[in-house]
Amino acid sequence: MRNNFHLELRHISKKFGETAAVDDISFDIPRGSFATLLGPSGCGKTTTLRMIAGFYDPDKGDIILGGRRINDLPAHRRGTAMVFQDYALFPHMTVRKNVGYGLTLAHLSKAEVDRRVNETLEFVGLGTLGDRWPNQLSGGQQQRVAVARALVLRPEILLLDEPLSNLDAKLRVQLRWELRALQQQLQMTFVYVTHDQDEALSLSDWIAVMNAGRVEQAGAPWDIYYHPRTAFLADFVGAVNLVPATVRDLRGAQAVVSFGERSLTVNVPAGLGVAMGAQVHLCVRPEAIGLAARGASSDGAAFPGTVARKAFLGDLMRYWVTVDGREWMVDQPDPGASTPFDGDVLLEIRPERVHVIAEQAAP
Amino acid sequence: MRSLQREPGLLLALLAVIVLVGIFIVYPQVRVIATPGTGYIDFLTGGSWVKATLNSLQVMALSTTSAVILGFVFAYAMVYTPMPWKPFFRLVGILPLLSPPFVVAAAYVILFGPRGLITYGIFGQTISVFGLSGIWGVQTIAFFPFAYQLIADVLSRSDARLEQAARNLGAGPWHVFRTVTLPLSRPGLGAAILTTAIYVLEDFGNPALIGGTFTVLPVLAYGQLSGFGDVQGATAISTLLLALALALYFAKIRLDGGRSFVTVSGRASSMPRPPVPAALTWSCFVACLLLSGLILLVYGSLLVSALTLNFPTNFTFTTKHFEYITSGTNGTALQNTLVFGLAAAAFSAAFAILAGWLVQRVAFRGARVLDLLLIMPAAIPGLFFGIGYATAFNEPWLDWLDRGVLIIIAMIFWNIPVGYQAAVAGLRQIDKSMDEAATSLGASSLRGFRDILLPMLGGSLRVGFVTTFVRAVTTLSVVIFLFTPASTVATIRIYQLVNDLNFGAATAFTVADIGMAIAALSVIAVLARGRVALGAARA
Repeated sequence: MRNNFHLELRHISKKFGETAAVDDISFDIPRGSFATLLGPSGCGKTTTLRMIAGFYDPDKGDIILGGRRINDLPAHRRGTAMVFQDYALFPHMTVRKNVGYGLTLAHLSKAEVDRRVNETLEFVGLGTLGDRWPNQLSGGQQQRVAVARALVLRPEILLLDEPLSNLDAKLRVQLRWELRALQQQLQMTFVYVTHDQDEALSLSDWIAVMNAGRVEQAGAPWDIYYHPRTAFLADFVGAVNLVPATVRDLRGAQAVVSFGERSLTVNVPAGLGVAMGAQVHLCVRPEAIGLAARGASSDGAAFPGTVARKAFLGDLMRYWVTVDGREWMVDQPDPGASTPFDGDVLLEIRPERVHVIAEQAAP
Repeated sequence: MRSLQREPGLLLALLAVIVLVGIFIVYPQVRVIATPGTGYIDFLTGGSWVKATLNSLQVMALSTTSAVILGFVFAYAMVYTPMPWKPFFRLVGILPLLSPPFVVAAAYVILFGPRGLITYGIFGQTISVFGLSGIWGVQTIAFFPFAYQLIADVLSRSDARLEQAARNLGAGPWHVFRTVTLPLSRPGLGAAILTTAIYVLEDFGNPALIGGTFTVLPVLAYGQLSGFGDVQGATAISTLLLALALALYFAKIRLDGGRSFVTVSGRASSMPRPPVPAALTWSCFVACLLLSGLILLVYGSLLVSALTLNFPTNFTFTTKHFEYITSGTNGTALQNTLVFGLAAAAFSAAFAILAGWLVQRVAFRGARVLDLLLIMPAAIPGLFFGIGYATAFNEPWLDWLDRGVLIIIAMIFWNIPVGYQAAVAGLRQIDKSMDEAATSLGASSLRGFRDILLPMLGGSLRVGFVTTFVRAVTTLSVVIFLFTPASTVATIRIYQLVNDLNFGAATAFTVADIGMAIAALSVIAVLARGRVALGAARA
């Protein structure tokens, strides 16, 4: 009985000239999941996707799809349909011809091609646009054609290379939900590449954050966001306060850490393996910090500080509060509900919301 | 590399291209270079080449300089000034590209020769017009339109926004041209000058017709072979000519990266050029009028001569010249010209697109070498190419090969760079994600090329086809060593008729030949609904 992983990468490496684009990465993607490769540009995420598609050959390692090693399969026999960043719609073919192209190659009967093309166009909400040319469509419609063209083949796995990055902000968010709904309806394995962490968090069942050709951390969005293993991850996914600190005392799963004149008792993640006197980073999300007027009572640690700047972002107010010469980012939801803070305030940190990262090169 | 192992069809296509390039581009050149053998020593010590080389270099320097200056004036006027009559000038500027360059010499003889319309008819003089000054004048007229096309292309590519920005910062028109336009266009202009120099250096027809005792290298090579049957001497001289042309060509590639690709089509600039003084505009207009007048004088006198009994002494209208050239051997020659041209254009354009795709899109070792071999014929003088085919394929065991077919093959491969560079330029416009999209939907590389890229490369295919056709029906030097009476073509007959002083028939042939080129261009333009471009660059 083979395991339930749909796509497995084993020790994949790829060099372009002297530069290692992908450096010994391995991961497993469960069947039917929405898997995302997330990272800054040049991190190797697109190279990885293109190796899965067969456009690049890995220098080392195995790519296993559905239990079968596909390294030596030419790209057009892999069953890995791809949606491209620029959609790559064939300009000399109508929408219908574009969507039907792969089926025609598979030598399906004309009736069968027509039936499946119509069905798929219907499915992505383009039922009436079959006879249009790609240049007559809006960006969002082109994007849907690109998805339909890949889906119609019922591929083993669907690869998506930043498919929403050419759309304007509002449409991008709308199509995000459509893609997610589509994937859940079809129970198909999607491998999605993006540099947009919001997109990755909101779409994915599983995220691999890549940096400099390596996978920094892979797992559920929740884990990536709240329990990043490195300072790079904490900083790349969402806004964060990263505070260098020193371990002063260890009490089982808890540690006393100090930074400047202050100290906190925080939980230490299992397996972190910090010793007394070790240097760590405290990772505190801005929305996990509270603000109060001076003199108010507080149930966590409360540090006196001063509001240095604030920015109104609509759904929240972001404050930069100076405590002992260090600036903290603090987000307060629903700014309209109360008068904004100013001047002297109390910074409230609940120790259970502080995540500890072992010291590495800070970002 | 691995994609080749996985796709046998692709491997086969690549091997076919490599084998054909090897046989029809590399092998003939190697044969020519190798033929003299120890004869090189006799050749070098013989010394006949020294005079011809000096003559070639002298006339190249003179004609290139004057052609580039006139071409530059024409190009500047077309690109930078708002002068009137631009469509007319554009049309006149294209005309010389559609005709064999050496017809200028023919026109020159009937206008300025011993019995010329102007020298004898008007001034009653029978002066000698042959020699250096004749070649210089004729080549200037023959090649300044090429220089104009090349330079206009370079100038029109200079960014109008930068010029507007310089004007906005307070620079005057002349200052902007000197400090912004010129420095940015310098590599392109240098390449245009070198390309013009190659045309002049390789020109065989003009110096052969009016050079007299002033012998240049291509004429010397031809004389050695056709006059004395001296294969060693002819191939040695041709090799020397090739070496000079290659030196110019590699200098050109260093300047423009081998990417110069010129099209004669209306390029609409989204931003207007900054205005120039009215006096400059009008000076340019007058200059263009004069230059167009010269071109029209050449082609007008050809047309009049073709339609009159005995130009310039008897201006009675007649169609007898056209009757003469459409009957017998002459009729065959016209028919051959059309058939050879169409066949060469179709195969050359198709082969070039396939080769361009393989080199650009399929990763394999040696792609750069193949790329170089495919653009190399642009640097090879037509005469050298012709001698190459005559030497390499004049074997007894190849007697079954029809000479017409050999001429077609020579035209196909001599013109490969035109279609190839058009294909490369076209492919650069198509993102690689198009190929990959086809692949990810299940198309093999070859299938994706056929279904997706080929239909998108229609423009490149047309450029390759039209330009190859025009070059095939206007070349003299490539076919002069290959033709037989059964496989003769228009340019050969024109050359022979001029030598026989039968100017009526020669000019009628010329008019028919140019008419064919214009007709081909027009048919393609209609089929493509006006979207047609002609690769003006021979290199």
